[in-house]
Amino acid sequence: MRTPLHALLGIVILATGARATPADELLPADRPIEAAVDHYVDAKLTKEGVHAAADADDATLVRRLTLDLQGRIPTDAEVRAFVLSTEADKRARLVDRLMASPGFVRHQVDTTDAMLMAGSRGSLNDYLSRAVRENRPWDQVFREVMQGNDSDPARKGSSDFLKARARDTDRLTSDVSSVFFGVNISCAKCHDHPKVRDWKQEHYYGMKSFLDRTFDSDNFVAERDFGAVKFKTTEGEERKARFMFLTGRVVDVPGIEEPSKEAKQEEKKRLEEARKKKEPPAPPKFSARGKLVEIALEPTERAFFAKAIVNRLWNRVFGVGLVMPLDQMHSENPPSHPELLQWLARDTIDHQYDLHRLIRGLVLSRAYARTSRWESAERPDPRLFATASVRPLTPFQLAASMWVASTDPASLPEVAKRDELDRKLEEFAGRGRSLASTIARPGEDYQIGASEALLMSNSDRLKDMLADGGDRLVARMAKMSDRREKIELAVRNVLSRAPDEEEISLFGEYLARYEDRPAEGCRQLVWALLTSAEFRFNY
Amino acid sequence: MSETRRERFCGSPEHALDRRRFLGTLAAGAAAFAADMTVLEVLKQPVIAQELKSQQKRVILLWLAGGSSQLETWDPKPGASTGGPFRAIPTSVPGIHISELMPKMAQRMEHTTIIRSLNTKNGDHGGGARLMMRGRMDDPSLRYPDLGAVLARELGQAHSAVPDYVSFYSATEGRDFAPDTAGFLGSRYAPMELTKTLMPENIRRPEGLSELDHAQRAELRELMSKRFARGRVSTDLGAHNEAYQRVRGLMASEKLFDLAQEPQKIRDEYGPTQFGEQALIARRLAEAGVPFVRVGRAWWDSHGQNFETHQEMVPELDHVMATLLDDLKRRGMLDSTLVITLAEFGRTPSINPSLGRDHFASAWSATLSGCGIKGGSVYGKTDALGQSVVDGEVGAAELFATIYKALGINPQKNYRVGSRPVPLTEPGTEPIETVLA
Repeated sequence: MRTPLHALLGIVILATGARATPADELLPADRPIEAAVDHYVDAKLTKEGVHAAADADDATLVRRLTLDLQGRIPTDAEVRAFVLSTEADKRARLVDRLMASPGFVRHQVDTTDAMLMAGSRGSLNDYLSRAVRENRPWDQVFREVMQGNDSDPARKGSSDFLKARARDTDRLTSDVSSVFFGVNISCAKCHDHPKVRDWKQEHYYGMKSFLDRTFDSDNFVAERDFGAVKFKTTEGEERKARFMFLTGRVVDVPGIEEPSKEAKQEEKKRLEEARKKKEPPAPPKFSARGKLVEIALEPTERAFFAKAIVNRLWNRVFGVGLVMPLDQMHSENPPSHPELLQWLARDTIDHQYDLHRLIRGLVLSRAYARTSRWESAERPDPRLFATASVRPLTPFQLAASMWVASTDPASLPEVAKRDELDRKLEEFAGRGRSLASTIARPGEDYQIGASEALLMSNSDRLKDMLADGGDRLVARMAKMSDRREKIELAVRNVLSRAPDEEEISLFGEYLARYEDRPAEGCRQLVWALLTSAEFRFNY
Repeated sequence: MSETRRERFCGSPEHALDRRRFLGTLAAGAAAFAADMTVLEVLKQPVIAQELKSQQKRVILLWLAGGSSQLETWDPKPGASTGGPFRAIPTSVPGIHISELMPKMAQRMEHTTIIRSLNTKNGDHGGGARLMMRGRMDDPSLRYPDLGAVLARELGQAHSAVPDYVSFYSATEGRDFAPDTAGFLGSRYAPMELTKTLMPENIRRPEGLSELDHAQRAELRELMSKRFARGRVSTDLGAHNEAYQRVRGLMASEKLFDLAQEPQKIRDEYGPTQFGEQALIARRLAEAGVPFVRVGRAWWDSHGQNFETHQEMVPELDHVMATLLDDLKRRGMLDSTLVITLAEFGRTPSINPSLGRDHFASAWSATLSGCGIKGGSVYGKTDALGQSVVDGEVGAAELFATIYKALGINPQKNYRVGSRPVPLTEPGTEPIETVLA
């Protein structure tokens, strides 16, 4: 057994990838998040002798923020309002406004769902929409999802995370470790991890022990009162696994001995009764899964949990995590900015795992607001955050944005009528969901492939968007006589910026070829803009 | 500054696409476009087609979804308590007997090797299907590509105009058990999946849009995208552009999926069944250089009435497979085309009270015919009742190593995923040398 002191040291090394900086050497805890981000990012840039790229212009920034916070592009009026505003704190006001809208909840739910349910067919939307709307602390979400109690109305649907994995506890072990702790230990299933000395078979089977009593009982998640995991070492020795957390912390758990006949029968009865009533089986007297949650959140062990979510949210808004890959947080894969990660994790814990606060801080940093363009010779390492990254839109972001982009702006409620406009925009997001599902299954690591290009090029799914009647952009353009004005309108509406002179003349010549079929020309121009890389990415 | 921009939107000479040229192309319009649509014309030139045929290897996988019974196909046990009602018949290769339900294949055994000794240890539809499509167990930390994606990558051309992984699976049963996947190889090798029709989705130009409009807007799209890429870097940006660049080539392959292009005599040979038609399209695709086609035939999961099910489905398999092999041979393609029959598992020798056979992964069969294979042979042996492998036991890894080697691919070839080397088959896996030509 380790002494507590050793254990503590172990945690620190494991969870940071290097010895942690003592708390009093970190930037003070009362700094705003954005200030801490820029402090550490700038320090590293100075150290590496790299100058950061210039700030993105206002039009790019409002597009980026609207995509990141609401999962759609801004309307032309929203872009103009932001660009023309002379308020000193206009960016913070925009962020707060975007975060207070229903679109923020929808987009947070979608991205969180993609993160939690990656690779499965299930969805946690039901549960998450409630949890995100109330901004439930992340540790509470973790607890609720791991408990999976649907009978409490506030937690309805929370069992879907476990349900999708209850038939395969190896998968459950791997997913829980990766999603919530940023650690992929499945390599250590068959042997001690070949490359990473942190991960031994004991860690894998230790984690699995907590989860191996979980099972699927007629589509309900159930948990046994007993059970211990055995494994074979590479030397062929059979061992009983200890209940061990990633930090090496071992706990005693009842029920590891082979249960008595009576106990087994009692359990069978418990399950049969539940099955008859079509109810979830009663929870066990002692929940090993619950114990894992409890330990993972203890002050001495919670670094994994806090750092994993910080890293994932950082990755979401910056396009590259502080630790990459996201599920390889271990000593041989150090963060790009270890102290920053440590500071942000501490801040997140100190503020009760308030993720909305964390997101707000990240997007208010200077580092977030740089241009993605790097004109001089060698582009700096993306992990220095000297430029903004170029990120593909998720299927939901893309589909919602296509509807916004293809809508006649004059048909939208004016910006001053915020609630009305938001309602309309949410309607577009809803309309986009079926298109999104044909683009790709939402997940964190999907890629753009030829089937998407074929869909965009040939399917009739874009037909309604590009129609030349009603509230469609093409309809408005077709009615306009001035070619320059048409182009202005299209580029502003689709690409969220003004066209440059070269585009005006290029598109002008393109439209000229359609003099006899003006609506068709407008339709094809809008198509080309909608399918261009500039529209497809958040830059 | 603006001068440079005008000349090279993306900064690299290969991709130089200046405005004058773009507008020039618009003017040349129809002519340039027609040239683009003739990509597949090369196939009409006998010499080139011949060369392509002999050099390029490809695979047609007949996927017997749900698990066909080895006892009613490749490994009959007539007279045994587990044998069922069907007899075994001799084949064109002395000493080899197969089920009487396969008389046509019995006359053509010289092209085929039967592997009777698969023990794959996974009797679950999903797990078994993933194992037999990928050749290895799942690893939660790595998304493995399946056979089709690996072969698309290994045998396909980098700038191929044709699709390089096509998968037919029309039934709904079992389709989700083994989703085709490019795994870590990425979307470039993702399959073109056909589930509803014989024609791929979105491969035809939308009605009401002329060819010229379609081509010109695509050029405008590309021009805009290249301007955007200037000064920006992202692998996704590259993938996006490449995906659109493949559109015209994929559209040009529409004819490959059109059975009306095939003489009626050939269509009659394959027969009017869905399986037959898909096999014929697979041959057309293989002929045009598509490296991998899967034709899924479902649903063999005969937990009840196993013998009726097989009496109906095996003769169809026999007919389609025999026709396919004949057709490939006649065209001089059999030496370069590997035809595989495979499923997620076989079926239990023991017969259940519903006269069915259940899932069984301990002793079952697959076949390999054509490219790189020593035809007319049997590898491995099961016991008298078919309960277990008594000779030459192999698993999915050995089968895949054999497939790779038959195609001239080193089974130990490494891919790199991040810094992690991932061999095509696990180290130490031996191909079954005796079935290789």
